[in-house]
Amino acid sequence: MKKQDNSYRKNFSLAIIFLVLTSVMFIIALFVSYNLNAKYVENEFDSKKIYVQEQTTRPYNNLFQNKITEITSYQGFLDSASAARYADSVFQSYHFVRQMVFYDVQIGNQNQGIIIKNHLGISIKSMYLFRPKNNKVEGIRIWNTKNEIDFEQMATKLARFIALSDTTRGSTQDEIYKTFYDVKPGKISYSNILRREDVKILRELQMHPNSPYYSKQTMMTFFLDPYRLKIKNPYKQLYQKVTIQPVVFDPPDNPIGTLVTEAPLPGAFSDYKLYFLSPPGYLNAEINRRFMPVAGLVLLIYCVLVLIGWLIYRNLGINIKLFKLQYDFINNFTHEFKTPVSVIKIAGSNLSGDSELSERQRKQYGRILNEEADKLNELMSKLLSFTQLENKSIELKREPVDVQQFVNSYIETFRLKHPDFKITSHFDGTPTLLTDPVMLGSVLQNLMENAYKYSHPEKRELHINVSGFKRNIVFSFKDKGIGIQKSELGNVFKKFYRIENQYNQNGSVGLGLAFCKELVNFMDGEITVNSKVNEGSEFIVTLPYEN
Amino acid sequence: MLKHLRLIFAVYLVAALSACKPDNRQIPVIDFFKTPEKVAYRLSPDGKYISYLKPYKDKQNLFIQSLDGGKEQMATSFSDYSVRGDYNWTYNNDIVFFQDDIAQDEIKMFTLDIATLKVTPVLSQKKVRISILGRDKNTPDVITIRMNKRDPANFDIYRLNIKTGALTPYLVNPGNITQWFPDADGKIRLVKASDGVDETILYRPNDNTPFKGIIANNFKTSVKPIAFTGQKNYFYALSNVNRDKSALVEINAEDGKEHRVIFASDSADILDYSYSKNTHKVEMVSWDAGKPQKHYFDPVMKNIYDKLSGELKDNQIAITDRDSAENKFIVFTYTDRCPGTYYLFERSAGKLTKLSDINPDLKHEELCPMRPISFKASDGLKITGYLTLPNGLKTTNLPTVVIPHDGPFSRTGWGFNPEVQFLANRGYAVFQVNYRGSTGFGKAFHSAGFKQMGGKIQQDITDGVKWLIANKTANPKKIAIFGGGFGGFSALYGVSFHPELYNCAIVQHGLINFFTYIKDAPPFLKPMVQMTYERVGNPATDAGQFRAISPVFNTDKIHAPVLIFQGARDDRANIPELNQFVRELQKQNGSDKVKYFLKPMERTSFRSQANRMEMYAEIEKFLDENMRKKN
Repeated sequence: MKKQDNSYRKNFSLAIIFLVLTSVMFIIALFVSYNLNAKYVENEFDSKKIYVQEQTTRPYNNLFQNKITEITSYQGFLDSASAARYADSVFQSYHFVRQMVFYDVQIGNQNQGIIIKNHLGISIKSMYLFRPKNNKVEGIRIWNTKNEIDFEQMATKLARFIALSDTTRGSTQDEIYKTFYDVKPGKISYSNILRREDVKILRELQMHPNSPYYSKQTMMTFFLDPYRLKIKNPYKQLYQKVTIQPVVFDPPDNPIGTLVTEAPLPGAFSDYKLYFLSPPGYLNAEINRRFMPVAGLVLLIYCVLVLIGWLIYRNLGINIKLFKLQYDFINNFTHEFKTPVSVIKIAGSNLSGDSELSERQRKQYGRILNEEADKLNELMSKLLSFTQLENKSIELKREPVDVQQFVNSYIETFRLKHPDFKITSHFDGTPTLLTDPVMLGSVLQNLMENAYKYSHPEKRELHINVSGFKRNIVFSFKDKGIGIQKSELGNVFKKFYRIENQYNQNGSVGLGLAFCKELVNFMDGEITVNSKVNEGSEFIVTLPYEN
Repeated sequence: MLKHLRLIFAVYLVAALSACKPDNRQIPVIDFFKTPEKVAYRLSPDGKYISYLKPYKDKQNLFIQSLDGGKEQMATSFSDYSVRGDYNWTYNNDIVFFQDDIAQDEIKMFTLDIATLKVTPVLSQKKVRISILGRDKNTPDVITIRMNKRDPANFDIYRLNIKTGALTPYLVNPGNITQWFPDADGKIRLVKASDGVDETILYRPNDNTPFKGIIANNFKTSVKPIAFTGQKNYFYALSNVNRDKSALVEINAEDGKEHRVIFASDSADILDYSYSKNTHKVEMVSWDAGKPQKHYFDPVMKNIYDKLSGELKDNQIAITDRDSAENKFIVFTYTDRCPGTYYLFERSAGKLTKLSDINPDLKHEELCPMRPISFKASDGLKITGYLTLPNGLKTTNLPTVVIPHDGPFSRTGWGFNPEVQFLANRGYAVFQVNYRGSTGFGKAFHSAGFKQMGGKIQQDITDGVKWLIANKTANPKKIAIFGGGFGGFSALYGVSFHPELYNCAIVQHGLINFFTYIKDAPPFLKPMVQMTYERVGNPATDAGQFRAISPVFNTDKIHAPVLIFQGARDDRANIPELNQFVRELQKQNGSDKVKYFLKPMERTSFRSQANRMEMYAEIEKFLDENMRKKN
């Protein structure tokens, strides 16, 4: 018994070590993942600014790519009224446009403005300043059109284009951008894009120096205010404050640990930048928020590991119990074998030691030897048939059995064997049964034997009730024995299981009921037990007629 | 034997099957749009040779064939540039032709001696345009040419001796002369001056007196001189002065007054005529109200035409060239189901010989007839058009493609149209409308279209489609609209403002902005600007209307699938604007509903065979997706 205690103790220490190790790993995993997360969030602080920049400058890009180019669709035919309507639509959707200057430009034979070639010149016919006022457009005509730097720059580029562009092929995107756009800090100038046909017509106009007619062209300068750009910050958890600042802005007095990054603004806003600031510790909330699911996952894995550990530990315990049962069985069995063997041995030595045997002695020894050999034989056949049954290596024979006669023959045998055993029986509609008589006999014998064995000597009574139903035949064996404790009821059919009590000190290996169950199962039947301690047990065997 | 039987059976089966459905074969796209093999047939004045252009190494070269059963002879073998289509026989039976060296921008003029097949260069000028104006029987080696050598903006008239190469100026252009009408003797007494819109006809009695204006027209009236009649100083002309529809008239050149009306049709303008230099007479006039119609003045020619008509039933017949004796004729015939055939007709023998087909791959019986139709517009005006139904038993509830013509001041005429035949072959009914504003139906009808873009012109198209639906020809759920230029505008306008009528739109070099359209009138040409303002609208006063109808300002109204083709070198297109338009449509409707093909090396209409094939394959696929798969 000591050995077994050792093995218990060993498993237990292994389990402890396993638990400690997994816990350490759990803590390390939490620590590492937290740190990685913190690093990741800090990286995001640097990388997500692109999205903020993109979202914030989207209206600007829209204005630049879609709204401004709409001017070209008017082909220079915008006048002060339609230009005002256009300006209104710009101010409505793009609040960062502070004001717009509209130049109604004429190209024709003249001696003023920017000269293209000969007398062909580009000049301002009229000029208007538009700005938003009370949700409406206010238009002011500007009469002094001298020294308009924006116009002059655009007109110079335009003149160059009209004079030099290659009309045999289309203009490239690059040529178009360099001619019809002028992007300067705080303002964008645009002139409607000329088609090749327009350039051809203008060049032809040059060949008609006396023609008093003009080609119309529209130029517009958009003045933009970067501070009116609406900052869109979808990452409030990363950036506490996003502001627009001049490019040179770099305050030295931020507290230590403040996170700062910046992103440039495009085109006409290039003098300014987006300035992102988060005070020390601002990111912790975000780090924690992201750490939670990771921590949860790690915890889950940890729990699963512990659960698996516990399951292994439990299985080990069951195996040990089984091992103990087998050990007990061998003990008992050896003991069981030993008794008849030692009796035979004593009888043998007595036989050889006594010089003369009386008739009585000889008969006695003969009976003893015979009985003990029978016992051994019975033990062995029991063991053998049980093994066979387990391995399903025997075949079920089918013979018609008259149940009443069959049971009665066993009752007769038991009455002869144990005169103090009171057996009563009752049969109810029991025809012939097609079954293996040997197996059925074994079941009957075992159950009757048990009823005898586990009863007080003064109360050895058994009532056998056999009743036939539609499909099944039910055998009930009801005794007035010691009964079985409720907690043990589930175990009585297990192999090598014996309830420890005074009645099974010898001659029992805990195989009887397990053997019965195997047999009954083999015949497609069922065996159940009802029992009350000190009142008696009832074993019920149900067998089908046809199996 | 059994094998043979099986084969015979198989052949019979195939024949039987194809006999069941002879009309419904899908003709490959390429067969519709093939470039013709032999073109520009001419007869030598002595009637001994015919000449034509035929590709050699992918370039058009001159070929000669003797009519005495001679074989085809290749006269030129240029592999750099093609021989131009406007070559001519001289009265000495030589050929004068041009080659246009595009890379050097140089026009080369050659003569071809028929006897020796020797090619001699005559003239070669860089950056100058030259063409032949006339030839003279009396001095067969001297031809009259026009050339802008002195001033690139103006053509002058020269006499050129093709044997010696001697070039003599004959008429110096004061700056506005655009057309010259030489007499049979090569002298020029009648010219037309034009500033692009307003035209003046000038006359001089002889070479030594200056020209003086006799008739002035603006863009609403027109006088097209033909030739002097030989009686007094009368000349033939097609004129619509003081009448609604152009008529053949005689005009007194002395005072420009109309002497008499020779022929007028009350249904359409007289559009074409044929004139004999031998008899100095107009032999025939033609007009087109639904189908082309002709009237003959000359009984001899009427005889010839009647004889030809007898042999070539249902064909439109035109005499394209003749020999000096007027015995042999080159005859060109076409129908709505035949792109054209050249014949040689010999009057003395009454013999008609087929020379070649423009496109022999197209079978007359596989193509579909083009039927003139007319309907009443919602304001009561009679509108004409053409309906081409696909071959087959079904004549109602057809998927329909509407093709409004470009212009808008032009017209759709009856005849072979490969685009129409292609669509009809694919199972679509094709509907073409000559909406108000179209030319050829008189001045009133033409001017009814003024300033009606996005107005009554579009209403006429809509009324036409509704008429088609009402008479059950069109399946109201399967109508596509397809056009180029103004037709492209009509298509976009249709899906914008009548989304319930059209499934989808196909646009070729589409007009998407009327401000752009207006700008095409050069500002230094006041009459041109005025004409544009009067016909289309004034950008100052009609800006609101332009904005309301121009697709570029109305992208939000277009939701139907659109297929757009554009050549990047189209002078009049504003590519950045079109790109922007397409981008906005794609953003709004999803890029699968807006297909856009911008071909970098193409101008207005696609020239490259590969691009054309791709375009029609895409059109077929697009129509398939939008007209067949749904419901």
